[in-house]
Amino acid sequence: MIGVALSTQGLVKRYGRRHALDGFTLAVPQGAVMGLVGPNGAGKTTWMMSVAGYLRLTSGAVDILGAGPFNAAVHSGRLSILPQDSELPLEATPSDLLYRYARLQGLSPERARSSVDASLAEMNLADRVHSSIRSLSHGMRKRVMLAQCFLGAPEVVLLDEPLNGLDPVEQDRMRRFILARRGRQTIVISSHNLNDVEVLCTHVAFVDKGKVARMATVQALTQEAGRVEYLLDNAAADIRPALTAACEAALPGARFTWHEAADARASLVCVYDERAGTVAQVNKTLLPLLLAKADVLSIATGLSLEQAYLKTSVPECPV
Amino acid sequence: MRSLFRISQVAIGEWAGAIRSRRALVLLLLYLVAAVACMYGTISIFSRMETELVQLLQLPESETTGVVSKTLWKSKPFQNMTRAAIGNDLVFNDIKGRHPVELVYAWFVFLCAPLLVVLVAGNRVADDLRSGAVRYAIVRCTRTEWSLGKYFGQALMLACGLAASAAGAWIVALCRLADAGPLLPAMFDWGARAWLYSLAWLGVALGISHLTRTGSRATALGIFAVAALSALPNVLGWNASWFDLPWLTNFDLLSPSSVKSLLWRQSLAPLAEAAFRLATLGLLFLSVGSAAFCRRDA
Repeated sequence: MIGVALSTQGLVKRYGRRHALDGFTLAVPQGAVMGLVGPNGAGKTTWMMSVAGYLRLTSGAVDILGAGPFNAAVHSGRLSILPQDSELPLEATPSDLLYRYARLQGLSPERARSSVDASLAEMNLADRVHSSIRSLSHGMRKRVMLAQCFLGAPEVVLLDEPLNGLDPVEQDRMRRFILARRGRQTIVISSHNLNDVEVLCTHVAFVDKGKVARMATVQALTQEAGRVEYLLDNAAADIRPALTAACEAALPGARFTWHEAADARASLVCVYDERAGTVAQVNKTLLPLLLAKADVLSIATGLSLEQAYLKTSVPECPV
Repeated sequence: MRSLFRISQVAIGEWAGAIRSRRALVLLLLYLVAAVACMYGTISIFSRMETELVQLLQLPESETTGVVSKTLWKSKPFQNMTRAAIGNDLVFNDIKGRHPVELVYAWFVFLCAPLLVVLVAGNRVADDLRSGAVRYAIVRCTRTEWSLGKYFGQALMLACGLAASAAGAWIVALCRLADAGPLLPAMFDWGARAWLYSLAWLGVALGISHLTRTGSRATALGIFAVAALSALPNVLGWNASWFDLPWLTNFDLLSPSSVKSLLWRQSLAPLAEAAFRLATLGLLFLSVGSAAFCRRDA
């Protein structure tokens, strides 16, 4: 049975009258990569800071690795964080700084050195290990910050906007780095980039107004049964009513909606009763009708994470 | 043991950061230049005074500075004057055999220590709180361990600064005085005593630094504390014993003039007592700041 690596129960953090967290309850399974998604000010960063012991909670309970709330004496080296808006000491070099952090979290000199070297190499910083942090670019500093999170392979890693400020190549490297850790470390990622969350995460929590609005696996959220989306070219507006009527006649009970797509294309979303047939059967029925009037560029089943998020957060938004 | 290890790691980090950022160099230069300037100025005054005295009293002229001052220092009337100025017979008896130049250095280094400590260490914690650098450390060690590490790291830096000032003062004395050669151990001795005194002020400076996120504000508050805790009692003419709270008299030790009653003695017992009380005082101030930091958001 998979245990829970990190759980928070009814966290409340008040700043005066404003509730930054308002009953934030979340359980992160061991080995999961959990994405926190939500609007600005939803409480994602506050939650991470609270879990890492930076913030004093108004109320609520935190349990990290079954050892209670964060206590550096207990959790040092077992939990790490990429905090938002926190500078590294500018005069230090990445190599020295990370070595000191590794020693501080209890690694032996040999293990600290090898862990630092490995982390910096994985972040593509091997050629800048002896430069001062001050001399590094914003993206390089971010990579040093990321490297410190993975020193000694902590069991729980909290990453607040980990890909922000990285160039596309480094973003891709970081994605692969995180994907390689799926199942080995429990990672929580806060991000506004839903494509990244969809690719990287096994679980997602939609956060709004200081609490979790919905939490599920990415698979459960995106593989919504009974939904097929066809991206069509040459489906001008005047042919769409006839096409819809033909489809409705071929697949009784199904609902069809049109959405404008980029480059004057359109997508036709079909929502049908999954008990009536499989995706293959629906395609077999609809594709000849669609191909007779337009070009079918792609077929997608289920929802993208973005669509799932919008469906949860903005119910009136058509997806 | 784990805790001690983490404290030492933070202290080493503080030290390494100071070396790399040239903060340590600035500290060394500050102490060195101040001591050299003071010694140079004092010896020049001695030299002028001696020349005038020799001319006035029509004494045979000496080739080197300090001979007349040393003779004067040993004279009964001058010693009575000094005894009255010090106001403590025990201290006077302990220092009356010492060279006047080393006493000038001791007087200077005790007088300047509080301000130098505040200027050098006053912003160390506040700057880390502002930049957020503290967050990378306190996820690996407790906040108290971090505060203590900062304290010990800074204490190590102060020791180096004071050693540099003692060496600088001795070199100036060596160049200007005939008999300054054997004064080197004495200079380091006074530097070490001033370091013990600085420990209390380091606690004050870092304790205050925990209370704000602005380095310059922390330094300004530290300077205010120097004035309030050391100068004001002397200016206003009150002392802690007036409050009928015996423990409050420990705070008198923060004043350069009061601390002499223990730290300027030659026997071991008052020195040990001073070391214990000053270190406790420093850690007390630090713990007040650290406790406030532990209770608030980082």
